[in-house]
Amino acid sequence: MTDATAPDLPMDLPGRGKSLYDETDRTRRRNAAERRFRVYGLIAISIGIASLIALLVSILGNGLPAFKQTYIVMDVTLSEDVLDKEGNRNRDDIAKVMTFGYAPLIRAAAQDLVRNLETGADTDVAGLTDAMIGDMISREAPGQLRRFVLANPDLIGTTQSFEFLANGRIDGYFKGRVTMESAAIDGNVTPEQLLAADKLEASGALVTRFNWQFLTAPDASDQRPEAAGLGVAILGSVYMMLVVLVLALPIGVSASIYLEEFAPKNRITDIIEVNISNLAAVPSIVFGILGLAVFINYAHLPQSAPIVGGLVLTLMTLPTIIISTRAALKSVPPSIKDAALGVGASKMQTVFHHVLPLAMPGILTGAILGLAQALGETAPLLLIGMVAFVRDYPGVPPEGFFDPSTALPVQVYNWTQRSDPAFFERASGAIIVLLVFLVVMNLVAIILRRRFERRW
Amino acid sequence: MNDMRISERHVRTDQIKFSGRGVRVFYGETEAIKGVDVDIEDKTVTAFIGPSGCGKSTFLRCLNRMNDTIDICRVQGKITLDGEDIYDRKVDPVQLRAKVGMVFQKPNPFPKSIYDNIAYGPRIHGLARTKADLDVIVETSLRRAALWDEVKDRLAEPGTGLSGGQQQRLCIARAIATAPEVLLMDEPCSALDPIATAQVEELIDDLRKSYSVVIVTHSMQQAARVSQKTAFFHLGHMVEFGATSDIFTKPKDPRTESYITGRIG
Repeated sequence: MTDATAPDLPMDLPGRGKSLYDETDRTRRRNAAERRFRVYGLIAISIGIASLIALLVSILGNGLPAFKQTYIVMDVTLSEDVLDKEGNRNRDDIAKVMTFGYAPLIRAAAQDLVRNLETGADTDVAGLTDAMIGDMISREAPGQLRRFVLANPDLIGTTQSFEFLANGRIDGYFKGRVTMESAAIDGNVTPEQLLAADKLEASGALVTRFNWQFLTAPDASDQRPEAAGLGVAILGSVYMMLVVLVLALPIGVSASIYLEEFAPKNRITDIIEVNISNLAAVPSIVFGILGLAVFINYAHLPQSAPIVGGLVLTLMTLPTIIISTRAALKSVPPSIKDAALGVGASKMQTVFHHVLPLAMPGILTGAILGLAQALGETAPLLLIGMVAFVRDYPGVPPEGFFDPSTALPVQVYNWTQRSDPAFFERASGAIIVLLVFLVVMNLVAIILRRRFERRW
Repeated sequence: MNDMRISERHVRTDQIKFSGRGVRVFYGETEAIKGVDVDIEDKTVTAFIGPSGCGKSTFLRCLNRMNDTIDICRVQGKITLDGEDIYDRKVDPVQLRAKVGMVFQKPNPFPKSIYDNIAYGPRIHGLARTKADLDVIVETSLRRAALWDEVKDRLAEPGTGLSGGQQQRLCIARAIATAPEVLLMDEPCSALDPIATAQVEELIDDLRKSYSVVIVTHSMQQAARVSQKTAFFHLGHMVEFGATSDIFTKPKDPRTESYITGRIG
């Protein structure tokens, strides 16, 4: 209602222009402020995008070579004198010859290969000694040969063609990591070896191809970076994610549903809510100490086992899942709940028939983001022993959950600690694998959200 | 539409369906309903009118215990349905709500198919043994809600895709699909245009043959058109309750008169 007796405001208020076409000072300042703000925003976004690109370029540049590997193809004579002195092809007898015994066979084969190339009387490789030629092959090769012979004892006495890993330095030469100049001052490789490698490549005996072993092989010692792979780490990470998924999702979702829909609102639930939010901010290494104290020292679960890692990561992921699930449940409009209650659905029917399906995209997104966070977590795993050097694959679950293994981020950490530059390349490659996992998980989250999203 | 057509009809004095005695409702410390006595008859449309915040919706929600979902809400006094105290310890609100259906202010169909919207109530209450039974219930409910002809060819489409008026009729169909005895309507037409409102009002009058209908409305014309009994609420009190024609033509209380003539509210 208007009060007719109130006086009108004066027409010439300060800050009001005469004509709509004139921009007043105040408007000009406001517009300028808005333009400045937009520029700040653009700058911020550009910095973000630039750092992301720099990061990706650096990681891809360093890590992509890890997916290629140099191999040397050669014929090895599986001499019976060395491998099976009894001549009875008995597996136990053959197994008595250790890897050490196979090394001379490979050395001899390598020398044959390289010396035969030299028939062109090239003087560049004059200084190439037999030992140097032998060192061009990876120290992984004797092990590979022994496994082959133990699997095929009948082939002893024949000559077989093998594809052995080249030594890490030779491999580095073809990836640009090692040059003639650096080789001249490097105690582990000589320019003569590199020249010989060039010749091998020209003759087709040295090939570079995609390195499946990087994804499947276990870790290798400091001396054999060319043989190191992520197999155990990937398995360990997958096992841990299974444990986290199986534990964190049901526990987190039921806790959220109870807190959001059923729990009475009182001081106790308030305290619980505040503490769940606090837990999400606890540094992850604290969870590692907790895991060490509770799961290993008190519950006597094995060290380095995916089950312990999974339990620790579950604890760490729970707050994230609970918070996102509660947000998803809250976002379901109350009118839907009213409608369900109005037709006589019980509280539980309302939640499970209507609220939960509508909240599902949010819940799944939160769960997958929680999993992604857990996948990249390193610190707590260091404390429960997953940083160990593990060469044996964990078994098939459920027993496999208790076998020692490592995890992807820990493997990255582990490799960056080693001195050989080949491991630096491997670490970057492992980061790429980790990133691919994370991107895939986020994609799944996005697809699920799109798919289940419904309007009301 | 003839404005006074409906209310001029004979008010049947059937048996009492709902009966409230000394009903007081508290939200925490605030007293929202301050002692209401009311008798709601069967096969009658009863309208609750009153200014905003007077407690009419609160009282309506007491009748099917929807207020139970609000933690700080307390109800005192006695409300009986067919002589049985609905706030008795032995009463399960779920069973009560199956007998007392509700339609809300904003149309709120489930984000499911039209068919599933109607079939949900009968399913959870086990009202249909076979798919054929369920089909019959769905068709009957949609026909009663005057929606069948409009949606019979697209029962599988989402209920949220209908127009506002259709959605509200869908909600009414959903409410009557559980064969309730009383239908509570909380401002069912406030989000609808006049044409949809007219359709819903006709529907309400039609539903009166089978159910007792309680409707909260802000529109006095609507109350006059559809109801046989009217209760006027003001500041948590029920000021006046009687035949609609009496309330609108010769109100006893000066507050009622002020409200219906537009001086308070």
